Amino acid sequence: MSNRYVEMGLSAPVNLTWEVSLACNLRCSHCLSSSGEPAEGELSTAEALDLVEQLHSGGVFQVNFGGGEPFLRPDFEEILAACHARGIMTCISTNGTLIGPERVARLAESRLVAIQVSMDGARRETCDAIRGKGVYDKAIEAIKLLAASSIPTSINTVLTAQNAGEIPAMHELARSLGVSLRVSRFRPSGRGADNWDDLRPTPAQLLAFSDWLARSGDVRTGDSFFSLTSQERQGLGLNLCGAAKLTCCVGPTGNMYPCAFLQTDRFKAGSLRDNTFKEIWDDSEIYASFRSLRIHSCEECQRFDQCHGGCPAVAWHLKNDINGGDPECLERCVTSIADEARTAKAA
Amino acid sequence: MAAAGIQLHPACRVRQEGFGLLFYDSRGPRLLFAATGSLLHPDFFKTVRERDELPEGLSDREQTVLQKFMSQLLEKGFLREQPIR
Repeated sequence: MSNRYVEMGLSAPVNLTWEVSLACNLRCSHCLSSSGEPAEGELSTAEALDLVEQLHSGGVFQVNFGGGEPFLRPDFEEILAACHARGIMTCISTNGTLIGPERVARLAESRLVAIQVSMDGARRETCDAIRGKGVYDKAIEAIKLLAASSIPTSINTVLTAQNAGEIPAMHELARSLGVSLRVSRFRPSGRGADNWDDLRPTPAQLLAFSDWLARSGDVRTGDSFFSLTSQERQGLGLNLCGAAKLTCCVGPTGNMYPCAFLQTDRFKAGSLRDNTFKEIWDDSEIYASFRSLRIHSCEECQRFDQCHGGCPAVAWHLKNDINGGDPECLERCVTSIADEARTAKAA
Repeated sequence: MAAAGIQLHPACRVRQEGFGLLFYDSRGPRLLFAATGSLLHPDFFKTVRERDELPEGLSDREQTVLQKFMSQLLEKGFLREQPIR
């Protein structure tokens, strides 16, 4: 029922990812946007505030800020305040290194912000190997400050081959700190593409994680449009990729894309310097193509009702084809493991 | 004593869509798609309303349907009880 309404086309996204800057003080090996230095021509403060007004008049409920490290942008709290003044809810994805008591106190005042602190291992060595030396301790410090405030806080972990065995321990760590855990899928974009072979979880790890997730009701997954537990997602009936239907992405220079993992020229839906947000959302051919995307090759699969072909971004990055279904879906993991077993037996 | 009214929960938002109203609850997050057409405007939820209050000019059948819908919104937490002062 809900899917039908979504496929009819909504007047605006429910939420969107806004990568406010590519500037980052870390160089994480899985970074989806290869962040480091700011992008040339990032939106000015006036342009950013104008966008906030457009999002408000369009009826966008929530903005998820990412980057780069959003807090490196000097006017970031001004942009946040503009969102909150208009009743727009916000969520900030941060590495936690720039979170101090004064900032936490300021952010808590709005009561409209949630914060995700990135951590990629329950062990210091595992996390720092991906995010950089000393980052684990700084992130823990930030989480403790946030957990003591009224700000809803979560740890966001990208599942990799290196930390797959530590996810239950991450869950325990989050509990002990008084925050929730969200586990995101590793996708081969940005530096993540460069390090894909090293960091990519094996099919066995993905299946083990899926089983564990099904038993861990309060853990959220960072799928392509929402942070939801599997139960909440089933309740919604929104078992499809939300890109260009429920969500979209605004890049640092005002380019719009279907999602944060498809920030390439091939998937550029438009520029906010040429058109309004509403014009791009309503009229972009790229968005139209995502709204009508049907993964016919997956329709006979027993899991089709649960995933509808999976993540088009992974399909694009691994196979250069968004129509071909997710090459790393759970069903293919099962097949891959069975094939390996047969090969080993034959040998 | 103040009478009990209802109001959109502070964690929720609502907007008009072609099919009716789209509710968003940031606590989940959850969405609720309500095929209310143009019977209810999102502005209706901006202020505290009496429990059985509805827009004017509705037929008996529309009133019955919307009363049930409002009860469901309250039950699902998209609306909350609030004293009318």
